[in-house]
Amino acid sequence: MRVGVMSFAHLHAASYARLLAVIPGVEVLATDPDHARRPGESGGAELADALGVAYEADYAALLAARPDAVIICAENAAHRPLVELAAAAGAHVLCEKPIATTLADAQAMTTACAAAGVQLMIAHPVRFSPAVAELRQLAAGPLGEIVSIAGTNNGRIPHGERAWFVDPAAAGGGALTDHLVHVLDLVDCLWPDSRVRSVYAVANRLLHPEVAVETVGLAALRLELGGRAVPVVIDASWSRPDGFATWGGLTLRVTGTGGIVDLDPFAGRIGGHLNSTGNAAWIGYGPELDALLLDAFLRVVAGEAVAVPDGVAGTRSLAVVLAAYESVRTGQPVDCTRTLR
Amino acid sequence: MSLRIGLIGAGGIAREHLSAWRSLGVEVSVFSHAGAAGLIAELGGTEVATLSELLGCADVVDIATPTPTHGDLALAALHAGLPVVCEKPLARTAAEAERVIEAFEAADLPLYPGHVVRYFSEYAAARAAVSAGAIGEVAVQRFTRTGSAPTAAWFHDDAQSGGIVLDQCLHDLDFARWTAGEVATAYAQESMAGGVRSVQVLLAHRSGALSNVCGTWARPGTRFRTTFDIAGTGGVLTHDSAEHPLLQTDFGDQPVAGTGRGLLPAMAYESPFQTELGEFLAALRGGPLPRVGARDGLAAIRIAEAAQCSLVSGQAEPVAGTEVAR
Repeated sequence: MRVGVMSFAHLHAASYARLLAVIPGVEVLATDPDHARRPGESGGAELADALGVAYEADYAALLAARPDAVIICAENAAHRPLVELAAAAGAHVLCEKPIATTLADAQAMTTACAAAGVQLMIAHPVRFSPAVAELRQLAAGPLGEIVSIAGTNNGRIPHGERAWFVDPAAAGGGALTDHLVHVLDLVDCLWPDSRVRSVYAVANRLLHPEVAVETVGLAALRLELGGRAVPVVIDASWSRPDGFATWGGLTLRVTGTGGIVDLDPFAGRIGGHLNSTGNAAWIGYGPELDALLLDAFLRVVAGEAVAVPDGVAGTRSLAVVLAAYESVRTGQPVDCTRTLR
Repeated sequence: MSLRIGLIGAGGIAREHLSAWRSLGVEVSVFSHAGAAGLIAELGGTEVATLSELLGCADVVDIATPTPTHGDLALAALHAGLPVVCEKPLARTAAEAERVIEAFEAADLPLYPGHVVRYFSEYAAARAAVSAGAIGEVAVQRFTRTGSAPTAAWFHDDAQSGGIVLDQCLHDLDFARWTAGEVATAYAQESMAGGVRSVQVLLAHRSGALSNVCGTWARPGTRFRTTFDIAGTGGVLTHDSAEHPLLQTDFGDQPVAGTGRGLLPAMAYESPFQTELGEFLAALRGGPLPRVGARDGLAAIRIAEAAQCSLVSGQAEPVAGTEVAR
């Protein structure tokens, strides 16, 4: 199987390339022709070399090699043309999240892949955590009727290695864009029939006021679930300090009539202190979720029926993000009943 | 190459091993004096009626029986020309383990001891960090292991099991040696009351590092819990299996089945038994050597025997085979 990595703009590209390179029977090609858009940042043939993967000069050359699948790691606003190119070349697509920055782009990408008969999968690794499978079982039984849901996806601001994350044009926004979708995807996979009915969101730039996008963001959703409007709150802030011992984390608390479950898929770690960093030790040893994500993608490419976050789900999540921004602008909740059927 | 595993035993460890072998996709024949049929009905496999039948059909023998039978069963497999995976301890005594190892080495047959703690991801990650120099030179380490006392009677007959030191502490004695090197002396003290038994072992490593290993067989229903704290010249690594669960549940007064999995703590998603047996399997198929070898199993028993001697003598005791040259 031949897998192409299109762009190194999102640093997850390095993680994917590294993981793919050690899977027997998988050949990895990469290209990063827009590296010049990121002066002073890692990328291009040099990064491909460091990752030990073959490098192609540009997207056309990569697709001319007829990859079975591609992984698109361009800036959020640059996903659409690459997805359309890949679909036209008959390659299955794993696209970094969020799917896009406009609904028009997201819908066009979904349509292009459907028309070409290829899978469009969005890169949400957390749903592949074995702990989520366990939570799904609890949610289907002992938890009873769902009363409320509270999620967090907090992290360090990611602009140190990739400045585009705080460029409104390239990223589409800040912390709300970057982090809301991971929690939304979890809700989507745990309760596939649920739909967001309204979104209220607030944001500020008190952390890192030097950047042009929101660094703090909270959203309160009303989720139609089991015939009720379940309140869901999500903290999507880049609120871990630069010196924090790890990148961040994601949690979900589900309160039901039967009990309460707290999910913390990144919790497994060795703690302590390291003199070398002057910081807390934080050595995660849990299952590698990016590897589980790639495994699901490659199984889909091989023709297996695996439930994955697709273009429709990605578009739904993006609609909630866009509603959140509208709410931030207006200061009032935004009704999503019409956009999210 | 498709290998058939000949599993001997049908107790707690046999259950974990059978489940892991099945997940690894290999065929398993099971021989046991009791309990094989029930285990197979639940997890799969084929029952065989006698040991010789098992040795006749297996490509690899997996010994998951009470400790005092390990040595003889390993030698029986050897005489049938078969490689062996043997649950720890490799044998009831160091002398017996040494005889078994020498016979396997002479026959050039693989013999792998089941020191599964080396395969728990938190312990493997700690060892990797120590090896990479994350905390400099190890100075002092602490390991605790607590669980409800085993129920089978033989565990509580020290002549058969070697007591809590050889059965339970052996895991941490092996791990302490893996991170801090050979052990020169051991001092131990023990106490028992009302079915609860604790032992505390202090180790002096040849490097100068010190280790403190505590084991407890606690009252029935006590949750399985392990901790470690490894301090070196460049930092400290800590872990407590009771902390940072991936999933925390509170069902109030609603009775909900627990999420523990046999001998494993709750939420240990990647079965360390599967990781362990998978590594042994890969080695048997010509892959790299496993992270633990028979001589590691022997070294762990020697440390345990020094601790057992100390329990009797009240003195710090030298660990055989590691006397420091003067």
